[in-house]
Amino acid sequence: MTQSQARSPAVKRYMQRFLPAMGLYVLVLFASLFAIKILDPTGPLLWILAVAPAIPILAVIAIMGLYITEESDELPRAVMVQSMLWGIGLTLSAATVWGFLENADLVPHLSSFLIFPLFCAAMGLAQPFVWRRYR
Amino acid sequence: MKNRLKILRAERNWSQADLADRLEVSRQTVNAIETGKYDPSLPLAFRIGRLFEQPIETIFDDEAA
Repeated sequence: MTQSQARSPAVKRYMQRFLPAMGLYVLVLFASLFAIKILDPTGPLLWILAVAPAIPILAVIAIMGLYITEESDELPRAVMVQSMLWGIGLTLSAATVWGFLENADLVPHLSSFLIFPLFCAAMGLAQPFVWRRYR
Repeated sequence: MKNRLKILRAERNWSQADLADRLEVSRQTVNAIETGKYDPSLPLAFRIGRLFEQPIETIFDDEAA
């Protein structure tokens, strides 16, 4: 397979990092929920157990950043950056609107850890539209 | 940006994939440059110029003049 048909090495490296990070996330999330339930900890241990599931997610954010710096094919890189900007804009808009609605007790409270999956979904939805500009 | 990539490619009987391989980018990138939908970075424009042994200005036309 020639380079122009193959997945770029940067995409391969991204997947090689992303999949283990997500696997780790699932493991840590369940371990953390389980440990908090069983041990009923307080103080520093509770802090550590509570924050643990966030760490693989922070790693995923860094992995996304690494993809941008490592992708040497400039059009896919530009498309990814623009999709991320759409994701950021849509997420900030949704969070702002939701926050004010929540203030008036019109909608239920949403936990802020939902912000990142929302960003990922918005970025994913934006990608085909951004690609269309270049086809 | 208007350009002569398609002509230069045809003169050498290269497909978009052939040109993409030589420039170390994807075929989508070549296609988007060729159709004027994406303007390459200066380093990529220089690579294109070097590959076709022509200055950038004879390949790309910024339509300013």
